[in-house]
Amino acid sequence: MIRRTASIVAALIGAAFLLAAAPAQDSAGKTLKIVSSLPRTGSANAQTTSMVNGIKMAIEERGGAVDGFTIEYDDMDDASPQKGNWDPAVESSNAKKAIADETVIGYIGTYNSGAAKVSMPLLNKAGLVMVSPGNTYPGLTKPGTGEPNEPAVYRPSGKIGYFRVVPTDDIQGAVACEYCRNDLNAKKVFILHDRELYGKGIADVFKKTAGATGVEVVGFEGIDPKASNYRSLVTKIRAAAPDAVFFGGTTQTNAAQVLKDLRAGGCKVPFMSPDGTFEKAFIEAAGKDNVTKEQGGVFITFGGLPSDQLTGLGAEFVKKYKAKHGVVPEAYAVYGYEAGRVLLDAIDRADKKDRASVLAAVAATKDFTGALGTWSFDENGDTTNKTMSVNTIKDGDFSFLKAVVGGAAKAK
Amino acid sequence: MVRAVAAVEMLATCALSRADSVAAFAHDGALSSWEVFGQQLVTGLSNGMIIALIAIGYTMVYGIIELINFAHGDLCMLGAFFALTVVGALGVDQWGGAGGTAGLVMVLVGTAAFCGSLNWSINWLAYRPLRKASKLSLLVSAIGASFILVNLGLFWGGLPMDVFAGGTSSAAPKAFPALVSSDPAAQIGDVIYSRTDFLVLCVTLPLMVALTYLVRYTKLGKAMRAVAQNPTAAALMGIDVERVIGATFFIGGALGGFATVVYSLYNQTVSFQMGYRMGMDAFIAAVLGGIGNLPGAVLGGLLIGLIRSMSDGYIEARWTNTVVFGILILILVFRPSGLLGAKLREKV
Amino acid sequence: MGAPRKMPWKMALALVALAMIPVVEPSLPQRLAISEPMTDVFVYAILGMALNVITGFTGLLNLGVAAFAAIGAYVFAISTCEIYPFQLGFWPALALTMAVGALAGFALGAPTLRVRGDYLAIVTLGFGEIVKDVLVNLDSITKGTQGINPLPPPTVFGAELGSRGQYWLLLAFVVVVFAGARSLERSRVGRAWLSIREDELASRAMGIRPDHAKMLAFATCASLAALAGALTASRLSSSGEPSNYDFQVSVLALCIVIVGGIGSVRGVLLGAIVMVGMNSIVLVKLTEMIGNTDSAGASRLAETHGMERVWVFITTWAQNVLLSPTNWKFLLFGLALVLMMMFRPQGILPPRAEHEAPPEDEGTGPAPAKGAAP
Repeated sequence: MIRRTASIVAALIGAAFLLAAAPAQDSAGKTLKIVSSLPRTGSANAQTTSMVNGIKMAIEERGGAVDGFTIEYDDMDDASPQKGNWDPAVESSNAKKAIADETVIGYIGTYNSGAAKVSMPLLNKAGLVMVSPGNTYPGLTKPGTGEPNEPAVYRPSGKIGYFRVVPTDDIQGAVACEYCRNDLNAKKVFILHDRELYGKGIADVFKKTAGATGVEVVGFEGIDPKASNYRSLVTKIRAAAPDAVFFGGTTQTNAAQVLKDLRAGGCKVPFMSPDGTFEKAFIEAAGKDNVTKEQGGVFITFGGLPSDQLTGLGAEFVKKYKAKHGVVPEAYAVYGYEAGRVLLDAIDRADKKDRASVLAAVAATKDFTGALGTWSFDENGDTTNKTMSVNTIKDGDFSFLKAVVGGAAKAK
Repeated sequence: MVRAVAAVEMLATCALSRADSVAAFAHDGALSSWEVFGQQLVTGLSNGMIIALIAIGYTMVYGIIELINFAHGDLCMLGAFFALTVVGALGVDQWGGAGGTAGLVMVLVGTAAFCGSLNWSINWLAYRPLRKASKLSLLVSAIGASFILVNLGLFWGGLPMDVFAGGTSSAAPKAFPALVSSDPAAQIGDVIYSRTDFLVLCVTLPLMVALTYLVRYTKLGKAMRAVAQNPTAAALMGIDVERVIGATFFIGGALGGFATVVYSLYNQTVSFQMGYRMGMDAFIAAVLGGIGNLPGAVLGGLLIGLIRSMSDGYIEARWTNTVVFGILILILVFRPSGLLGAKLREKV
Repeated sequence: MGAPRKMPWKMALALVALAMIPVVEPSLPQRLAISEPMTDVFVYAILGMALNVITGFTGLLNLGVAAFAAIGAYVFAISTCEIYPFQLGFWPALALTMAVGALAGFALGAPTLRVRGDYLAIVTLGFGEIVKDVLVNLDSITKGTQGINPLPPPTVFGAELGSRGQYWLLLAFVVVVFAGARSLERSRVGRAWLSIREDELASRAMGIRPDHAKMLAFATCASLAALAGALTASRLSSSGEPSNYDFQVSVLALCIVIVGGIGSVRGVLLGAIVMVGMNSIVLVKLTEMIGNTDSAGASRLAETHGMERVWVFITTWAQNVLLSPTNWKFLLFGLALVLMMMFRPQGILPPRAEHEAPPEDEGTGPAPAKGAAP
């Protein structure tokens, strides 16, 4: 028996080594590596695929090399097949792997703010710069917006090593609420959220802003994102008779089902949701008949401008993406692209191609001309770009309504 | 079976034709408290009937080989993909009128046949070789089958068809065309009994009646009961046990197929991950009623549906799962073999 | 209590080999690094051994072992994290976690002693769902889905452990739990568990109190599972979010136990290496090797006809999903389970003949009279 044990263990370890060793190329010479850690397995796949495409395009644009150094790119998955979603064990393992690999000079990630909380302290300690294309939880960077120990707790080295190219939820939630009040003339709103970090966070801001601006909140409920339908909740909403319904959540946490059940249950008031639903998959999941204006309309805020409203470099990116992949990129693709570009730009500017210099160069990014306009990183590592947009759905596609420049943290 | 299908067709036609006469309801202010209660009742019963239909498939398989068939929910999920593919390929949503009703019946029967055959094949491939193994090995095999089915659902969602949104994001949930609209079929005050609610009733009720008839009065039903009682004795009496087990899997799967079409029409969503909740609810329902017991599964399903909607309505949606499982545990503590389950005999 | 057997030299060799992994690793190419996912294997090994106490030894099917791990992780996180007032050290927190875990085991076990077989399975499953929901909903205490972090690194005699130290610490825990489970199996209470599994009525006649023994099994399982949860939390420096301890984790633990060889502690260890190794090492490396493909471009379907259309349909489909190895993970995992059960239904390393159960149910299915047995 023991012999068998030993031989099975040996065979397994051997197999793993063989698997790993087979394509191992020598990575000697002047090679630098960028890695990204995004949930590639499971339901966020469409968004992350377009982000990865964006990163790849940013590298290709520079001919795969910066300042004489070849740039390698590794697309890591921080989801596990069991969860079908990001997994802290995998994210932590990714971060450690990146740290251990000396050629890695930049870490693009993560998509989920919860995952960032795991890898941020690790990468910070190792002095490896992290640029996120998707995290919107304010507490990661802004003091006073989250827990009392945030964000210092993510910076064990005492320095800032985490940057993000997307505006945060505290801005977006407030923008959504103000649109609801001023443009939709809603006096009473019913707020739903998916109980997740992102969804609940943005719903909380919405609620706070509503309280401050005199919109009555007639209901505030967390849903079960795995439920098969929300008909009974819709009855509750009908009983409260709101002028609008806000859902803090994403397509993955069943936003489309909430919308469908609202319409099927006869609650035809405007439906608002944040940028976690600003993807084609949301319209496809909701069905073309449920998103129309006659059914009450759907309004989606987004932490930036939609693809067709981008100008300059952004518009060029969309054009190139379309030529290469045949489809218009998802809204988040440009953030992947921008994260890649700002990192490559910093590598270019860094006088020594080591982690510390690149980190310093990223932190020094100022008036960067990117696909999202001209912006800088502020003292917290946040982008100074606070342009938001409100979009609706028309003829089965997103349609831009207006751009709003988010006031900084109006709702605290 | 034929009779049941005919009944469905008749009732469905009736539902589809009468709805236009009811004026589209107006949304005028708040609902009174009894209206809220009535509406929750309607929702709970409709959801409950769908759960019950799936639970029957669970409980039948359990009754005959004592397997908690973890793959059952995922089987239903694949059934939904099958139905969506048929609808998309033939454009059933465009047929309209009597053609639409015929299309609906065709989708129902086709999906039932698909799910039945698939369940039969899974039994043949994955469970049949394990008849002599321990029950836990069988359980792990079912878990494995469930993983495989989930993955097949992921592949299926990537088919480059319009109904799958070109298949570019296979993991995203897909909209199921509203073959039956959710306009009111009847309305009392502000309580809406929609056409989809009616559809649920039209499909589930006749099937339950037909199944009861099958199990009670047909030869196959008797053979199924005999195998459930004692397979060895049944085999000695000349019953082909394997054939009976296969038939049970087929029927259970077919019921799941009917249920999944109704589910898809009611919720209008299909996703490769939907099997988990479908299976879980049905499993709870089957256990609540007394696993292995057919009327128990129906009772359990209705109860789960009602508890869910009442908890959503009167407690808080985020506590609904806790309420459901809490009630389940309480009931099992006081009735350890479910509401209608036979008291387990202690070994003498 | 049988005399402790000498450790077989091959097992000692395997242990040394495992312990050497983080030492030799830095000199190997990056792609061969497996110490990180190996810690995953260790944690699951402990969870598997915990489940084995109740499902393997005592014969009670438990589908909610992850709930105890969740309780462990959160108790550990709350008692050590700097945002809470307790801030215990690593070892006191670990002791507290195991005690709370045992209490939770009692709390679930006591009222459900009458519930048997598959009914008990769903009670444990429901308990798992309730714990997960409560952790999400009581967000003022548990921080909801945010996760509690960071947690201080483990210390040994006041010295903080680095990643290599943590690896060895986890390995040491596996060894200790393994040795403990083995000696528990041969102890008085362990033999009582085995006899309950085989025949509750007969064991009652022999003077064993099944209720006591079952409660003890519940508490032991829960306590060890809580330990596994606490060690995960400490390794990640975060409690993770409640959905990290969902049904899937319980299922994986169950698969480890059954694939390894139910009732056999060594089998469970091997099961953890095989199942989690496949999950966290082989599948991951496979994906790294092949990489992700680009998703398909706009479908040219509309312009094509006949056979060409079929061809374009298939290639587009392949490009959409089939070519990406990440999309095959569930399938490979499921296939492995089904095949494993088909060819080795008793597991890789079934328990030795001395404890071996008589072959269950010779017939085509268990008779109703045996319905009480899980």
